Amino acid sequence: MIDLYAITDHPGPALPDATPLRLVARGSLAGVCGAAGAEEAVTPEGLWRHERIVEDLMQNRDVLPVRYGTRFPDESAAGRVLEERGEQFAAALDRVRGAVELAVRVISGPGVPPPADDEATAVGAGEVGAGTAYLRARQREKAASSEAANVVHQPLSAVARDHVTGPGTLPGELLRAAYLVSADAVATFTATVGRLQVEHRGLLITCTGPWPAYSFAQR
Amino acid sequence: MTTVAEQDVALIDLIDRLLGGGVVIFGDITLAVADVDLVYVGLRALIASVATAREKNMLPEMGDAL
Amino acid sequence: MSDKWLNRPDGMDSLAAALPSIDRALDRRINADPENLERGLAQLVLTIVELLRQLMERQALRRMDDGSLSDDEVERLGQTFMKLSERMRELREEFGLDEEDLNLNLGPLGNLL
Repeated sequence: MIDLYAITDHPGPALPDATPLRLVARGSLAGVCGAAGAEEAVTPEGLWRHERIVEDLMQNRDVLPVRYGTRFPDESAAGRVLEERGEQFAAALDRVRGAVELAVRVISGPGVPPPADDEATAVGAGEVGAGTAYLRARQREKAASSEAANVVHQPLSAVARDHVTGPGTLPGELLRAAYLVSADAVATFTATVGRLQVEHRGLLITCTGPWPAYSFAQR
Repeated sequence: MTTVAEQDVALIDLIDRLLGGGVVIFGDITLAVADVDLVYVGLRALIASVATAREKNMLPEMGDAL
Repeated sequence: MSDKWLNRPDGMDSLAAALPSIDRALDRRINADPENLERGLAQLVLTIVELLRQLMERQALRRMDDGSLSDDEVERLGQTFMKLSERMRELREEFGLDEEDLNLNLGPLGNLL
């Protein structure tokens, strides 16, 4: 069994001598494969190990990362998929060429009182009904979320080639986004994040990366 | 030195990417992990199984759910 | 593994309590038990209900914003949404699903919710 880590151009830079990885080449693409481990369980250690491999590849070539756990019985099976979907993979690789993914979250800061408190007080004082308080709280959440989107997302998307955004899932998370940023724009992007964080003390802006372009591999 | 919260957020970012992103290949392949892509992969199988599940009285009580 | 942090805001530790357990985050993504039909079906149905609930709430907020709802209507709608939200929480608990479970990955279209 072999695991497929990423798809890259062929020909390309040679893999390091001591590598356990192999290239399965078909036309202008190659799949980077490695022997599948015996362990089936998914663990943080396993994920980081996989990630390290893909990021090492990223150092000197463009990669289209493949979802974790993509496994083939052998190299010819992997090769068949590269042939069948070669055009699609080549187009995707072109889209992410020379770029990395940066992950950003905007979280409402600890200093900001949660809307529920204000609403609960008003309800307790008989000023508004519970239903009205509920909808007003939702309005405030929506406004905070749009504001985060505007003040943080707009300037960042201007530096990026592409983006994917969505609502947050953590409590207080107003925005969760992934940006496809050209390698030579990463410093500008990071500096912009830093500047936005200083300008908006009421928000927590997290930024992790650079990641391989996972969120842009299948668009 | 990263804190636990920082490690976890970075790990969640990693999980979102490795298990939620990347090129997806289905078919004649053994997947060590598979996203619960009900629409993409399992829905057809799920719908086909519903009739069987109903016969075997396996379905949850949804009647007065709302 | 090199540090992935590019911006590390102050006050992140306040998040620690709110983060889902990593096991949970992994479980959600891994189809470990394809035979669990009942849970899968509940997940699908509740996702659709949640989609409708969100759409309706969004519509109500839009109408609130442009002032086309009376105070009385706002109160009555609010009460309904509160009850619906609470009922959804109960149903999720019943099936051992949390908010993040109620979503569908539509491949290239991203997530439904």
